[in-house]
Amino acid sequence: MESAIGVLAIAIGAGASIVGIASLLLGLRRSDDRLLATGRRCVLAVLLASILAVGVMEWALITHDFSIRYVAENNARSTPLLFTVTGLWAALEGSILLWVLILAVYIALTVRHFRDRASEPLVVWATIVMLGVSLFFFLLVLGPANPFELTPGGAPVDGRGPNPLLQNHPLMAFHPPMLYLGYVGFTVPFAFAMASLITGSVGEGWLADTRRTTLVAWGFLSLGIVLGAWWSYEVLGWGGYWAWDPVENASLLPWLTATAFIHSVMVQERRAMLRVWNLSLVIATFCLTILGTFLTRSGVVNSVHAFSQSSIGGWLLAFLALSAGSGLALIAWRGDRLRAPGRIDSALSREAFFLGNNLLFVAFAFVVLLGTVFPLIAEAVQGTQLSVGEPYFDRMTVPLGLALLFLMAVAPVLPWRAASGEVLRRRLLVPAWIGGALFVATLVFLARSLPTALAFGLGAFTISAIVQETWRTVRARSRADAVGRGRAAWRTLASNPRRYGGLTVHIGVVCIAVAIAASNTFATKAEIRLRRDASVTVDGYRFTYEGSRTTRSAQKTTVSADVRIERGDRDLGTYAPSVSTFPNSNQAIGTPSVRTGLTTDVYLTLVSSPNARGRITLGVSVFPLVVWIWIGGALIGLGTAVALVPARTRRVLPESTPAPVEEPV
Amino acid sequence: MADTSTARNRIAWIVLAVLVLGAVAFSLWPRPGADSVAGRTRSLAREFRCVDCEGLSVADSQTASARAARVEIRRRLEAGESEAEVRAYFVDLYGESVLLKPEGTGIGLVVWALPVVAVILAGAGIVVAVRRGRRTPRLRATDEDEALVARALGAEHGTDDRADDGDER
Repeated sequence: MESAIGVLAIAIGAGASIVGIASLLLGLRRSDDRLLATGRRCVLAVLLASILAVGVMEWALITHDFSIRYVAENNARSTPLLFTVTGLWAALEGSILLWVLILAVYIALTVRHFRDRASEPLVVWATIVMLGVSLFFFLLVLGPANPFELTPGGAPVDGRGPNPLLQNHPLMAFHPPMLYLGYVGFTVPFAFAMASLITGSVGEGWLADTRRTTLVAWGFLSLGIVLGAWWSYEVLGWGGYWAWDPVENASLLPWLTATAFIHSVMVQERRAMLRVWNLSLVIATFCLTILGTFLTRSGVVNSVHAFSQSSIGGWLLAFLALSAGSGLALIAWRGDRLRAPGRIDSALSREAFFLGNNLLFVAFAFVVLLGTVFPLIAEAVQGTQLSVGEPYFDRMTVPLGLALLFLMAVAPVLPWRAASGEVLRRRLLVPAWIGGALFVATLVFLARSLPTALAFGLGAFTISAIVQETWRTVRARSRADAVGRGRAAWRTLASNPRRYGGLTVHIGVVCIAVAIAASNTFATKAEIRLRRDASVTVDGYRFTYEGSRTTRSAQKTTVSADVRIERGDRDLGTYAPSVSTFPNSNQAIGTPSVRTGLTTDVYLTLVSSPNARGRITLGVSVFPLVVWIWIGGALIGLGTAVALVPARTRRVLPESTPAPVEEPV
Repeated sequence: MADTSTARNRIAWIVLAVLVLGAVAFSLWPRPGADSVAGRTRSLAREFRCVDCEGLSVADSQTASARAARVEIRRRLEAGESEAEVRAYFVDLYGESVLLKPEGTGIGLVVWALPVVAVILAGAGIVVAVRRGRRTPRLRATDEDEALVARALGAEHGTDDRADDGDER
């Protein structure tokens, strides 16, 4: 019954997408407003259909309707409610269904936002492209990734339950949806980019129209990535937060190109340059979300996060080829209109630094992509089995990351067009000294590691440049308006939330960079064996084993060891790393216990449960500053939210296309 | 007055540059005594893939095989083998896919060289494009434009200091 309703909802969604596309196309050709209105109503139908489909799936999960194969495979009667609900994204078919829902919400919000411009060709074409994308995903869940397929041979008594790793931590409720909100959101700028190419209005209009959506998607994707790292740190128990795993790389790839786009878009708004480049970045970002889904869901690469495989690889690959191919063809077709009227005046200008930033981000994305797919290429070309892992990515991306940190320190201080070297030397002197001092101090006193010292020094350089620059602006505002510093600070922020939101994001990124450098360089890892009530000291922390407990529930059986942590004569509390076994898996799942501090994390894992003589083996790691990765992630979210706030005073420059420019003489 | 502050500024930059370069030289200076075997074991263990788990290195994994591999690395280093010899041993045992960092020979060269070449080419391309853009002026002011500018300047005198202001209002 539920299965039938679910399939029906999906079919209605697919049908509404087709009818919508057709009536919008016809309406555009005949300039028929009634047809256009029908097309828009189809968007509403798509939204309702996807809500219905997801609702039916959730209902089936909550009522443990094991006649549906997806429910039988990803749910059990013993699964707690939270992980029953999150079962929607515990495997491929449900994830695609969630994708469909989020996409429908984005389309509906976009269409609603542009309701006053509903008959404008740019908006109509963008809607057509978005409906085309939704049609593809509806077809996916209708065909190769059907979540409502019935269980062969009837409903079993109990389901298998989700993968143990996916029913172990509440972060599971937030991390995947955030990631999808990011991934799917890039459909909107992609659709507008395609629409601007199709209609030939390739000016700056579509950029202004999609700036906010792009930022929203980018912010969600950033949060999704950081939450994923957090999940990895809190659940997987190997003591790290990033392993350059294909699934992680797949989420990073569109983030990198989108970040490049968010920066280079300012060059186009300001100077009307880089049109082809920006269109390419948007199209690339969308394609990379599809490629990432292909890589991780088709089973071509192995990954700790890839929780399912199926035959949708071919479909995704075909859709990827279609998106990339049509994007490239459209850019080539509109080549004459895309010629940029502007030019770069000086290497010491913000636009020149944005170009540098774009080069580095795209190079970063290229390295990550190449490293991820290289084992496939090598096997296809030579038949040799190769691995590309952490050492490769570290070696290649650390220099790029450090160069980006440097640009981040200097670029916000730079004016557009051209700076005088003199002014720049004056403005950057103090921040450069602060950064330089920290760099030298790190090398001399802390670690002889150039990358770490550079990360610390450039981080300090960046933050002090931001603080100094903001302070300078606030002081000038306070003098000009004859108001106090507090009010001047508020006015400065309100007059340009985009800039100060962006700078907040920069500070978050510095926090993350510094934390990554510190936790990699200054980590202590040890394995200790402990009898009951015995203690061992590692890196100044005393660990005492106080006994172990076994708790049994229908969901899992957990053995946990109570370990007291002391530093000097301060008691830091008792922590309980554990190992759980789940009825649906023969692999034991370790759960670390982390004592989080502002400067240091103590990370405990239970390597082996009490043996016959009552001894346990504990994995003990001391990581400095890890919490600053999560704080940095929160700052990125906050900064993105600030950047979305409209400016209080309108910009002086109009946001429309600049006046036409004469052809070169 | 302006000259002395410029000169002072320049000196401050030079001192900073000397300090930073000095620190770099200090960090690159060969240290007395080789690294400890434990340190070398740890850094070498990061280069090998744990053969019975997905995506983790021998250094990060806690499986029995990873443990055994760490012991083996340590034993060989203590016996005086070089890093290259340990690598060769593991490659002989498990094939080239045990290396998380492909060797820079054969097809492995591609994964190292391609990004570097691409960045150099793209960087050069950007420089050339910017240079060419600067050589050919795209705009030529007509008399009409000049008159417009003159009128505007007459009406409103030099209020636009945006070019010098880092704040993009």
